[in-house]
Amino acid sequence: MKSTEELFAILKEKFGDAVLQLNTKLPKEAVIDVTPSQIAEISWFLRDTEELQFDNLILLTGLDDDNGEKVKLEDGTTETKGGTLSVVYHLESMKLKHKLVLRVSTDRDKPEVETVCKVWACADWHEREAFDMFGIKFLNHPDLRRILMPYDWEESYPLRKDYKNPEFYQGMKVPY
Amino acid sequence: MGLLDKEFTDDNIVITKVEDLLNWARLSSLWQMSFGLACCAIEMMATSASHYDFDRFGVIPRPSPRQADIIIISGTVTFKMAIRIKRIYEQMPDPKYIISMGSCSNCGGPYWEHGYHVLKGVDRVIPVDVYVPGCPPRPEALLEGLLTLQNKIRNESLVKKSV
Amino acid sequence: MNFFLTFFLNSAKFENKILIETSMLTEFGKIFAFMLIAIIFVVVTVFMSKLVRPARPTKEKLMIYECGENPEGTPWVKFNIRFYVVALIFLIFDVEVVLLVPWTVVYQQYGLAGYFIGVIFLFFLGLGMAYEWKKGDLEWARPYPQSSKLKNAVKGVETSLPVTSEK
Repeated sequence: MKSTEELFAILKEKFGDAVLQLNTKLPKEAVIDVTPSQIAEISWFLRDTEELQFDNLILLTGLDDDNGEKVKLEDGTTETKGGTLSVVYHLESMKLKHKLVLRVSTDRDKPEVETVCKVWACADWHEREAFDMFGIKFLNHPDLRRILMPYDWEESYPLRKDYKNPEFYQGMKVPY
Repeated sequence: MGLLDKEFTDDNIVITKVEDLLNWARLSSLWQMSFGLACCAIEMMATSASHYDFDRFGVIPRPSPRQADIIIISGTVTFKMAIRIKRIYEQMPDPKYIISMGSCSNCGGPYWEHGYHVLKGVDRVIPVDVYVPGCPPRPEALLEGLLTLQNKIRNESLVKKSV
Repeated sequence: MNFFLTFFLNSAKFENKILIETSMLTEFGKIFAFMLIAIIFVVVTVFMSKLVRPARPTKEKLMIYECGENPEGTPWVKFNIRFYVVALIFLIFDVEVVLLVPWTVVYQQYGLAGYFIGVIFLFFLGLGMAYEWKKGDLEWARPYPQSSKLKNAVKGVETSLPVTSEK
């Protein structure tokens, strides 16, 4: 049973630059920030090491950090440029009973994160949902397509902060 | 054939009695295609159960639209589902009626403002006859909706409406 | 019809025989009336409902129902051939029961011979049942093919193997 500081120390020792920082100022749990290109290797390490054994990915979710600059368009609406989108992983070990939260930040304009489907199989649909709602592309994902919205929904990604409803979808009026 | 389907232009005593008979027969055995989507479906099941009985009005649940007279849209209608609802509505044989049960299928419900995948009211795809408000409506409210529909059928006529 | 028949054929010589024949004929007449009413019942109902109901076919209404989606694939699916075997077995035993029912009613009038005729009938059908039970046709899962044990009977016969390239 390890605390987050110990886990951070182990990860920092193994991966050095890829593990960015330990963020303890958050209300519930401490979050470890990681670079997006190394997340797959870190996940393999976390799952396969004897003393860590993170065999359960509880949750994988996307976040809009809302830290870009807001640009006003011609029709009065605002669009956000720059800034980051994040993916948060909640991991747990059922044998050793410790938990960990990882976080990965990518650019809003070109969000690409390595997939962890091969490590934990449940990440498949969670990553599809993150793609559907935020547009985060997961590299080497076996089947990356929309899961909640209709497959032919072209109007961007609903849970981004600057999302606007389209006027019509297949003949049905969308806004109220 | 449909020989009696709105073919008459005058309204005499024989037609009136036949109308009454046919309308009475139709409203007393409205077989429903229950389209339970979300929480309103639970209330619809409660209405069909023994405490507030649906069967005493002649309403039997049918699994297929081909055998149904009314379709009760109960629950939140998403865009993906709305396409299928339209197809199912088209596949019901005439004469058919629609009861829109609950806030979500009336007008989008609590998702009217921010719902990105919710169709704000099922009457954007199919023509609704009776709206039953509530979130979810109590079984008594759904029964009142059914009785309103029966009143509407009672006043239907075989006479062709002249312009 | 009854009255005319008895009047027309009423002769002292044939009286008994004809009375039996006319009453048998009127029995068939009752069956005929029954069949006629059954047919008329169905035809009138279907015709009346065709008269009353509206008929407004549209292209979407006539499409095959597949829970709201566009129908994919063909509705002619392959189904398990065990249904055929079950139906065949059912048919045979159903006919057996139908033929047994009149026997059960009258066999006592014919004494021991009547009883044994039924027993012989049941015996032959029982043979068939034993055969299919052994072959596994009463189970739903497909039985393993029971090969006959004749391999040992052809000892000493040399079979020539096909010529192969390697030794």
